[in-house]
Amino acid sequence: MVARGKGGSRSKAHREFVSEAEDILERMRDDLSVVAEAVEGGRDADPDLINRLFRSAHSLKGLSGMFGFDAMSDLAHHLEDLLDALRMGRLPLSDEGLGLFDDSITVIADALGETDDPEQVAATESRIRGLVERIESWNAAPDEDAVESDSLHLSPSVLRALTEYEEHRLQENLNRGRGIYVVDVDFEIASFEEGLAEVSAAIKEIGEILSTLPSPGDTPDSHIRFSLLTATDLAVEDLAARLDLSVDAVEVGRLPRAADADPDPAPAVDSKSENAEPKVEPEVVVGPEASPEQPGHETTTLKSISDTVRVDIKKLDELMNLVGELAIQKGAIKQMAMRMSGEKLTERAGSELDKIHRALERKLQELQAGVLEVRMVPLRQVFDKLARVVRRLRLDLRKEVQLEIRGADTELDKLIVEELVDPLMHVVRNAFDHAIESEEERLEIGKPANGTIRVEALQRGNDVVIAVSDDGRGIDADHVLALAHDRGLVSREADLSRKEILELIFQPGLSTREEVTETSGRGVGMDVVRSNIASMGGIVDIDSTPQLGTTITITLPITLAIIQALIVGVGEHLFAVPLNSVRETLLVDPAEIQRSEGRELLNLRGDPLALRRLAEEFHLEGDSVHGKPYVVVLGMGDARMGLLVDRLEGQQDTVIKPIQGPIREVRGIAGATELGEQGAVLVLDVSALVEDLGRRSDP
Amino acid sequence: MSRILIVEDSGTMRSLLVQAFESLDPELKIDEAQNGFEALRLLPRNAYDLIVTDINMPDINGLELVSFVKGNDNYRSIPLMIVSTEGSDRDRNKGLELGAEAYLVKPFEPDELQRLAAGLLDVGRKD
Repeated sequence: MVARGKGGSRSKAHREFVSEAEDILERMRDDLSVVAEAVEGGRDADPDLINRLFRSAHSLKGLSGMFGFDAMSDLAHHLEDLLDALRMGRLPLSDEGLGLFDDSITVIADALGETDDPEQVAATESRIRGLVERIESWNAAPDEDAVESDSLHLSPSVLRALTEYEEHRLQENLNRGRGIYVVDVDFEIASFEEGLAEVSAAIKEIGEILSTLPSPGDTPDSHIRFSLLTATDLAVEDLAARLDLSVDAVEVGRLPRAADADPDPAPAVDSKSENAEPKVEPEVVVGPEASPEQPGHETTTLKSISDTVRVDIKKLDELMNLVGELAIQKGAIKQMAMRMSGEKLTERAGSELDKIHRALERKLQELQAGVLEVRMVPLRQVFDKLARVVRRLRLDLRKEVQLEIRGADTELDKLIVEELVDPLMHVVRNAFDHAIESEEERLEIGKPANGTIRVEALQRGNDVVIAVSDDGRGIDADHVLALAHDRGLVSREADLSRKEILELIFQPGLSTREEVTETSGRGVGMDVVRSNIASMGGIVDIDSTPQLGTTITITLPITLAIIQALIVGVGEHLFAVPLNSVRETLLVDPAEIQRSEGRELLNLRGDPLALRRLAEEFHLEGDSVHGKPYVVVLGMGDARMGLLVDRLEGQQDTVIKPIQGPIREVRGIAGATELGEQGAVLVLDVSALVEDLGRRSDP
Repeated sequence: MSRILIVEDSGTMRSLLVQAFESLDPELKIDEAQNGFEALRLLPRNAYDLIVTDINMPDINGLELVSFVKGNDNYRSIPLMIVSTEGSDRDRNKGLELGAEAYLVKPFEPDELQRLAAGLLDVGRKD
């Protein structure tokens, strides 16, 4: 029992403190018993009472601190934190919590009645410390085992090797509601540090690495694996995407708490929609043994994840196809409306039908735009990869090169963005490795010591233009031409412009030779870059000034899924030309067409425009001899050409579908599309046509 | 002749350990790693008869190194001694649970280290 008899040895101020503190404790007991009744009865505690308890603890903390009762003050401080968490709804009140409050009040009351007896003081202080520890562990574990690190759904090996400090950090992060993951990465033993540093740096941008556990890799003699215990607010998919890993490489210990999970969810698809829900569920990744004891926690977590939905892009393709087919039906309605309007008998009904058609058209456009938008992703994810590549090259090649990135928010079809990674990396690597001179060389010719590579993206109409420029040595055209002569790629007689010479860089025969790399500084695999981009319906341009640098410009359609096409006719055949590459159309007099060096040219406002006859291209029977042909002026990047056709049949929304069979191999054909009543027609591959025209420069 | 690996980020502490081992057996080959990563790179290069590691290190901690060694068929049989500052019993117990053979608290007496090491090196030779 506590001896109270020696109180006389203390000051008046001290007695006042004890008296006030006892009042506070009294009030706390009263409030606590009301709260306890509510909790036992399964009701919510009165928030006002919790708030008053909080203020009581706060006063107690301040008072005891003033009088040098540090242990008591510390305990009161912990109670205050706990009550603050309860008050703010961060923590649910449980029997265990109530017990802690009861015990704390008892201990503080005992401490107040204490003498100066050092043994007693020590004994009480140790009781207080015990309580502080209990509060700490309870406060840390409000959701019962959900936040106990022991019950995280993680490989025990990771948790077993945590030091006490690391456990503390884990607990802190759990308290903050962050998600806990284990990120597995595998490296060669000989060079793991660089790769690990890269991943670690990427994680630190979005969270905290709690520990780094090495283990034998898949081939233990040469590889080593690191399991990075990671805390972040990101959902598992976002984390994996940030690190450029598949979701399988990330083990989920606990998902972020709902409130913190995704402050700015991108509602890609409405998760409340009944149709979307069941499809979505399998995509949501939850710790497999998510504890059934806390359904509340689990549901909120699930909900936060399903605010953004991962959808198989094939499903979007199907939707896009449907939209395209609807557009075709819409076209049929329009034709019907026109036919009816042309007849006296059905004129009225025809104009009614035309109105309906126009309304349908508007809604279809909205639908199409909506589906397209879902497919769009910002280029940022590709650009982030470029930044990583440059960081690594900087280390490997010991060359200081800045990477400037602009327009990372420019959006492109997801499929295109994925296909874009390799060619872009290639271009940037070339610029870094070959185009930018060494520091000494740069200083000597008066350039800044550090080279710069600039990657810039912007949307231009239905295209996205990505330019990669460097301030390196530029391309030595004479050298390229000499090589092309040696390789027999161009005849020695051909008079090529500088532009045409630069284009040779994209020729397979030339660009894969190593010598070009070493001397002219560019060219490895540029033919591959061009064909990759062309397969997405895009085009690559090059511009280079000796001493000043080189710019590679990639122009891509925003989406592959649906395009507006100009339907053209040659004889009895129809073709679709993607409208984004049509600059203009002209009706020409055959007499205006000039011949020069075996090529047909048209004077287009002072500039010669090279022409190709579509009929000849595919060995068709045309009827242009009977009338004036049309010239469709095609543009891809900077290149222009004119396509001679017999007729223009109007614009159509089309969905390009790949062709099977031998015709797939025909150059100049990108695919086929369905035009309703007119049946299937072939879609021209404009980039191939434009490119071939350039190749024919020497007849 | 035995070869040991000392993993310790403090230079002072490393040289103390090296001294203690050298006076135990001047013939010992001693490799020093300044951190866990260096140890990970040294491990596949040499056959060790004993690993001595600190716990608190900047890159990976000693417990993680123990976990790696004892979870790896190539190194599992190498005896492992943790030498770490007085303090956390939990860390010590974890180290032993993970498979470390011995635990020595800093500051340590050289003869205590030598006694422990001698025993472990015997074990190492038998393996």
